[in-house]
Amino acid sequence: MASKPYSEALIPGAFKWISGLTLFILLAPMVVVILSGLNAGEFLTFPPEGLSLRWIEAFFASDIFLGAYFYSLIIALITMVISLILGTAISLFLIRSTALGRNMIRAVVMAPIMLPGIVIGLALYLFYISSDIGLARTQAGLVIGHVLVTCPYVIGMVSAALVGFDRSLEEAARSLGASRWTTFRKITMPMISPALIAGGVFAFIVSFGQFDVSLFLTPPNNTPLPIALYSSLRYTFEPTAAAAGIFAIALVVVSMVITAKITSLRRLTAATYK
Amino acid sequence: MQGTEESKRLWLLAMPGLTFFLVFFLVPLGALFLISFDKSSTGIVDIRWMFDFSNYERFFTRSIYYEAALRSVGLAALVAVIALLLGYPLAYVIAKTTDPARNTFLMILVLSAMQLDMVIRLFGLMVLLGDNGLINQVLQSAGWDRVPLMYNFFGVVVGLVQFALPFMILSLVGVIQGINPSLEEAARSLGASRWRAFWKVTVPMSMPGILAGLLLVFALAISSYVVPTLMGGWKVIVLPIHIFQQISELAKWQFGASVAVIMFLISITAMLVYQRTSNRLAGGRV
Amino acid sequence: MTDTSKPKGPNRRSFLKTGSAALAGAAGVNSFYINHAWAQDVAWDGEPFDAQGATLRLNEWGGFWEEAQREAIINDFEKTYNCTVSYDSGFPWFPKYVAGGPQNPSHHVGNWNLNEIIKLNRIGDFFLTTDEIKENVPNASDLWDFAFGSGLGATWGFGQYAYAYRTDLVSPAPTSFKDFWRPELANKRATYITSNGLQQVFFMTAAAEFGKDQYDMEAGFEAMRAAMPMKISDFTGNMQTLVERGEVEMGVQWEGEIFLQMDKGISVAPFTWERKPILTQTLSVSRYSDPIEKKLALAYVNAKLDPDYQTKMAETFYLRPSNKKSALPARLTDKGVTNDANALDGLWIPDWNWYLDNEDDIVETVNEIFAS
Repeated sequence: MASKPYSEALIPGAFKWISGLTLFILLAPMVVVILSGLNAGEFLTFPPEGLSLRWIEAFFASDIFLGAYFYSLIIALITMVISLILGTAISLFLIRSTALGRNMIRAVVMAPIMLPGIVIGLALYLFYISSDIGLARTQAGLVIGHVLVTCPYVIGMVSAALVGFDRSLEEAARSLGASRWTTFRKITMPMISPALIAGGVFAFIVSFGQFDVSLFLTPPNNTPLPIALYSSLRYTFEPTAAAAGIFAIALVVVSMVITAKITSLRRLTAATYK
Repeated sequence: MQGTEESKRLWLLAMPGLTFFLVFFLVPLGALFLISFDKSSTGIVDIRWMFDFSNYERFFTRSIYYEAALRSVGLAALVAVIALLLGYPLAYVIAKTTDPARNTFLMILVLSAMQLDMVIRLFGLMVLLGDNGLINQVLQSAGWDRVPLMYNFFGVVVGLVQFALPFMILSLVGVIQGINPSLEEAARSLGASRWRAFWKVTVPMSMPGILAGLLLVFALAISSYVVPTLMGGWKVIVLPIHIFQQISELAKWQFGASVAVIMFLISITAMLVYQRTSNRLAGGRV
Repeated sequence: MTDTSKPKGPNRRSFLKTGSAALAGAAGVNSFYINHAWAQDVAWDGEPFDAQGATLRLNEWGGFWEEAQREAIINDFEKTYNCTVSYDSGFPWFPKYVAGGPQNPSHHVGNWNLNEIIKLNRIGDFFLTTDEIKENVPNASDLWDFAFGSGLGATWGFGQYAYAYRTDLVSPAPTSFKDFWRPELANKRATYITSNGLQQVFFMTAAAEFGKDQYDMEAGFEAMRAAMPMKISDFTGNMQTLVERGEVEMGVQWEGEIFLQMDKGISVAPFTWERKPILTQTLSVSRYSDPIEKKLALAYVNAKLDPDYQTKMAETFYLRPSNKKSALPARLTDKGVTNDANALDGLWIPDWNWYLDNEDDIVETVNEIFAS
């Protein structure tokens, strides 16, 4: 993306003000939660009664929360990989095939984000139970639910990137004798990599924070973090939950910083989804 | 034109993914659809093939249900528009910020806001917006009256906007970045004011992102259960609440399923509107 | 309402052979209808046994509750019985039981609230009766009678219903159930959404206090209307936060969570209702579990009816024990709680069956009132 020095000068002043307001709306609740998680007092208070790491320590000492945190991490990684593979393949089909019914198929694969997650979770749960295919209350069953609601993001982003894709390079590679797989790996993938990364990040974040879909699909003994937080907050609002929230935010910041090292975030956002 | 060879390959390539959606999305949803046409009876989940419209009749003849549908649509549309108005300027700023470190920093702020757990996030909002919240404390110390900022429609709107903003911003940033700055520059060199150049060049060119963002935020807002529950003080009853109540509390799967089907139809309609509008604007593929 | 236990329509197997296999399978009849008759006759002699690695599926609350249960019971239980406990903290469990059906129980043993157990029992033959539990669980003989009073499940812990009120903000302190309706508490009082058992009890109590008796539905509605404007919480944890932050000055709560807040130094106190409804932790045992799992379920129930376990839970969660032999920790005795026959005097278990008979109407109307 060409970044011309004068482009910042194009930003109208009013936009800066509104951006400030928007950032405030986005971040104010986060600041409250972070400070509450660092609270020194017995219960969740704001403003905090002095700062301490006691609830952070409580988070590390809690098998349930720490376990849930890592469980969510694993689920989100698996979900991300599966969504990327399935989603990229579907995108290639949607954009490059001339088959009839593409629009219908597109509507179907994008539909999961249009439905309440609770409905998807329930419908899947009922399906697992009554078809008796051994997915009820399993990790695989949970991942399937997560893939359903994250795959549309990947499809949206990757197919948007494929729309403006110049295929002459691919054709050149093929005519020079490269196999289809090599062509995809060496030509196509690098060119759509911003979309792949953006789709992957979205899939990861949506899966990690997923509550609705997980509600009915959560396997026993292993609880994803949002469900663990919900079921413990039902009983009492401990600052440990806020501490867990801090680590969830930290995870995103760390993964974004890593992503920024690998590829410029400007490239990440260059891949939009439609 | 590639031949049938290519077409076959593409089918094969997409087959695992499409099968996945068929088995784990269309089939369970189809079953739900069939259940919604069964006569409602407590605690029965099986399809009994007693086809009738009684659930739908009930939905459209009782005000608490059809009003909830209207409320859901209105709420989601309002949230989508507000998220656009608030999100566009920030997206624009991010897109035009050339300094990589600042750009990265802004992106991290937006993305990390996505990650905060919903239930905890709502605690944060309560601290800010509650009757005893920080905003009301400031108002009071300034000698004004308290304003009800949550446990009502307004609170739900704020909660949903807060939750959906990152999705809107991310839909927009890429599109705005894709606009060739020389176009804006050209408009300005022809004597257009900054605003005029913005309205005549930038906004039309960011339309794909605007539409995509509106659709996505609409979808997220209409399907949220947690936010209306916790921020609305049970005063803003929307369709997901009815679905959840019918199934989890009253064990009326048939009626719950029919509410879900109605919601699905609303969402599909929104998607069709989106596709038509963007086809018309782009004159091409979506 | 009780006819779900029988298979309906064509069975799943025949569907699978037809073209619409997948669709029908998705919604078809639950699992296989193995004849479970033998499973009903399982007896347990109260002695530990080797379950040979069987898995006991149970539903209990999550978070800190789960941590406490694992420490107090489950870790030992798994060793003693050579079994694995599969712990499902994913509330709500009610639809999971419904989806599985009585013959194919989604869980073998459950620790939850009485109203949900009764609700399921009306839908199908899901659970053992109290008599069947008593026969097979040695510790049952040490319980106060009320623990089996509902005819369903075994109650191991309970707490009285109360208002949590802010001692620094509510004055004078409440002296009657009806003080909730004081005009100055408008918008500063709170109850729960209709799916929460606390709201269901609150509704029946209000009907009884303001009307002829607990069955006076109109009086209940009128009381809810008169209480508006008020705040509506989803769960008790959220209510604690609302009270802590002063968003709510008086809210429906059960005593255990108020005691917890008091010991954290929050200025709250309980006002116990004159009629004494109780919130219970009740165990259900699924009737159609396979024999080994059913024996494990009974053993698990026995472990929960143990006096020392109940003392631990009284210490951690401020729950009163149902076992006569259970000693109370200081944090309950210093709040005036005792474990003797007097403590149970006048306890009231509202008529859940009546509530459930009328649940559709009540839910619809109360939703409308809350939303107004």
